[in-house]
Amino acid sequence: MTRILRDRISGRPLDARSRTGARTAERAVPRVDLGDGATLLFDEDHTLPLVSITVAMRSGSAHDPDGKEGASRIAMRMLRRGAAGMNAKHIEDQIDRLGGELSVDVAPSSSAMEAQVIERNLVPFVDLLVKILGSPDFPEDELMRLKRETVAEIIEARDSDRALAQRAFRRALFPGHLYGRSTTGTPKSVESLTEDDARRAYSLHVNRGNVVVGLSGDIDEATAKRVAEQLVAAIAAGIAPGDPITEPEPRAGRRLVFVDKPERTQTQILIGALGTSPFDPDHVALGVANAVFGGSFTSRLMREVRSKRGWSYGASARLGVDRHRQSFAMWTFPAAADAAACVRLELELLEAFVDKGITPRELSFIKRYLMRSRAFDVDTAAKRLHQALDVGVLGLPADYHSSYVTKVDAVTCEDASAAVRARIHPNDALVVVVGTADAILGPVRESIPGLLEHEVVAFDED
Amino acid sequence: MTGPMPARDPHHILAEKLTAKAPDGQKITFMGAHAFGDARLRRYELDNGLKVLLLADRSAPTCAYFTWYNVGSRHEKPGKTGLAHLFEHLMFNETESLAAGEFDRKLEESGAESNAATWVDWTYYYEALPKDRLSLAVKLESERMAHLVLREPQVKSEKEVVANERRYRVDDDVEGATNELLYKTAFTRHPYHWPTIGWMEDIQGFTPEDCERFYRTFYAPNNAVVVVVGDFNEAGLLGLIQRAYGPIPRAVIPPDDALPEPPQLEERSLTVTKPTATEKLVLGYHGPALGDADHAVLTVLNEVLFGGRASRLHRALVIDTETCIDVRGWVSTYRDTGLYEMYATARAGKTTDEILGIMDREIARTKEEVVSEDELARAKARLELSLLQSLETMSGKAEQIGFFETVLGEPAAAFRRLEGYRHATASDLRKAARRYLPDGARTIIRVLPEQVSAAVAPEHLQ
Repeated sequence: MTRILRDRISGRPLDARSRTGARTAERAVPRVDLGDGATLLFDEDHTLPLVSITVAMRSGSAHDPDGKEGASRIAMRMLRRGAAGMNAKHIEDQIDRLGGELSVDVAPSSSAMEAQVIERNLVPFVDLLVKILGSPDFPEDELMRLKRETVAEIIEARDSDRALAQRAFRRALFPGHLYGRSTTGTPKSVESLTEDDARRAYSLHVNRGNVVVGLSGDIDEATAKRVAEQLVAAIAAGIAPGDPITEPEPRAGRRLVFVDKPERTQTQILIGALGTSPFDPDHVALGVANAVFGGSFTSRLMREVRSKRGWSYGASARLGVDRHRQSFAMWTFPAAADAAACVRLELELLEAFVDKGITPRELSFIKRYLMRSRAFDVDTAAKRLHQALDVGVLGLPADYHSSYVTKVDAVTCEDASAAVRARIHPNDALVVVVGTADAILGPVRESIPGLLEHEVVAFDED
Repeated sequence: MTGPMPARDPHHILAEKLTAKAPDGQKITFMGAHAFGDARLRRYELDNGLKVLLLADRSAPTCAYFTWYNVGSRHEKPGKTGLAHLFEHLMFNETESLAAGEFDRKLEESGAESNAATWVDWTYYYEALPKDRLSLAVKLESERMAHLVLREPQVKSEKEVVANERRYRVDDDVEGATNELLYKTAFTRHPYHWPTIGWMEDIQGFTPEDCERFYRTFYAPNNAVVVVVGDFNEAGLLGLIQRAYGPIPRAVIPPDDALPEPPQLEERSLTVTKPTATEKLVLGYHGPALGDADHAVLTVLNEVLFGGRASRLHRALVIDTETCIDVRGWVSTYRDTGLYEMYATARAGKTTDEILGIMDREIARTKEEVVSEDELARAKARLELSLLQSLETMSGKAEQIGFFETVLGEPAAAFRRLEGYRHATASDLRKAARRYLPDGARTIIRVLPEQVSAAVAPEHLQ
């Protein structure tokens, strides 16, 4: 239910699951080789009688063939809809009866089955997961039902202006690139999927050479190993399918994509460009600079847009993290009447950020924030495990998280400012606005100096 | 002699020692302990009425510091709706010893996370801090409890922020707007009639004097409870709290004068149009207050009807007939009688009449037949899992404790409710259905799309 929050709107420099780094003194998550390329990571914590189980794959929707976007997600969602002769109803009943929960997550470069269960039911729950993961049936009637459900979800997502902005931003920032595609697919691509497509996607992702098993919570090492071996034994041998994603190319010039939706009293605005790859030498420096710019409640963006002018409830800047260079994006949602002025202000702030970098005072402040708040990235077993899974699944440097505090501490003002200048180009900024074109398109266009081109798309256009 | 004298509780001795060192009138009293699962939650009270609840948790070197005020939108008056929420925003501004912006800066440079929430019955503020920074939360929260400065520029700017928040959550959000309409229609006298965020014209009309009056009325130690969960030294923390809050005087808290809601004896039905792709149906039945014994029983029934993919209404509406894309139910957790809310989102081409027909059939079943033992067991297991999940973090625990203390005066009520779920019988559920789901006495909101594009025409995917 809606609860009114002051809402800090993701004041983090990077996605929550992808924060750069960790303190060297932090407890390491034990890692066990399960053979055939499979790995177990586990973190023991007996505070509550709960066990979390993740089976993560090193591949994701980027492998969906052209025209078959959504295949990986459909394949993963089909797992619980028929397995080892059990129908969907029987599986759902079992999950609930055992006090369990099951979900799947598919991203361009990774996939995962996430589960949690009350500890006393761990054994029968794992038996059930073994069947779901290892012996899916892909029944035709369930596949048809899921396809219809997915198309309905795509249509329903048009109610969310934020989702519309994100989709338009992704498409325009990565045109023709795998990052520009939807993990869910389009109504047309989803409709085209067959049982063979789903089985092919399943075999590609769910094989022993491609999985990392993560266990955390009320479970000891011996039990964790036994559970992981049981899960891995249920799936076929194979190899990780490799990474099909190429480095995205920047586009020159300022562009506007206006998503036209009727009766908007408010707009959703995303302004950004390409950001950073975790393998960039200045990756952490850029994250630190971004935190100054839009990664905390006292950041420049928040201060100028919300605190001084009251234009938007939230104002933040975020750097996406994947194996390759992802996005840098500023997010605000001002009233329609303030949209044009807000776009202009954000572009000016971005230019000043790139031209002048950050100050020693800002750096000193943000370092204290990032280093001390690190405690909340590793305060539960589940969080520690997910960081270890990020490293294992995305192939990040082994010390990606564990050296975070050290790396942040080492960043200088010159490092941070140079990283911003090298990676972010205000003159190539992409501006995405969801609003009512009749009311504000003109002023928004005029608010973007040097606008190269603009495009108006209907909110219900796929 | 009948045996050795029982040892005095060391917490009584601790409180006496602290009192002995403090100035007159700043007594602290140990009020006893509550079982909180396997742990012990200790209750203290200052002379000025401030309640303090402490739960030690050494699973991470952090602490959660929550301050709950017994004030929410129910305490507002017509024409001044939204004041409790606006005020929550203002609490992050200037105090007598902190310039505007310093509150957030001090917390962030300590690595703390902070936020706040307001709802119908309460408002809370929280900080999650590294354990060596806990004293900062004590200092800042006590400072703003008594020494907030309210000036015209801050009030003006924050009104704009809240107006934008309202556009985001309500005016441009189909579900938010529908939920507001549901309560506005179902409640005619009780303050649950108006939304916590307030009517737009009220938000825009607030003056610093309104805010000052509200502050002096409700922000006082005898209207608050401080909840701390984490890795702290109890004697040291209590000493800090006593010194920081002890000098703050009590206030005269006005008695609750919420008008009771007369029984709803008729069906109230409204239809609205929105720029949305599909029809939506919302039902509201007047339900029990959180403190009623029936609340736990109705919550179990709700789980049978709406809890997950195996629930009756999910099966009937989403899976079997494919009428809906999403269904949800919630028994409001309010101090006074709230609503049992039911939400359904139709698929393209399906109507609210079709949904209502199926929902009515399933609701009638719950009044005629008892649910199966299997359904009952599944519902109970899901609720147990949900409770455990809510306790996974220190902030989660502190929120549960503060919520139940503020609404029911019973900080460990989450566990009593779990027992309530466990003891609920199929017959109890039927009785609750007969009592709380009466024929013809409910509120129905229908949302119809203003326009349907080709992409969502009914023949799609047939």
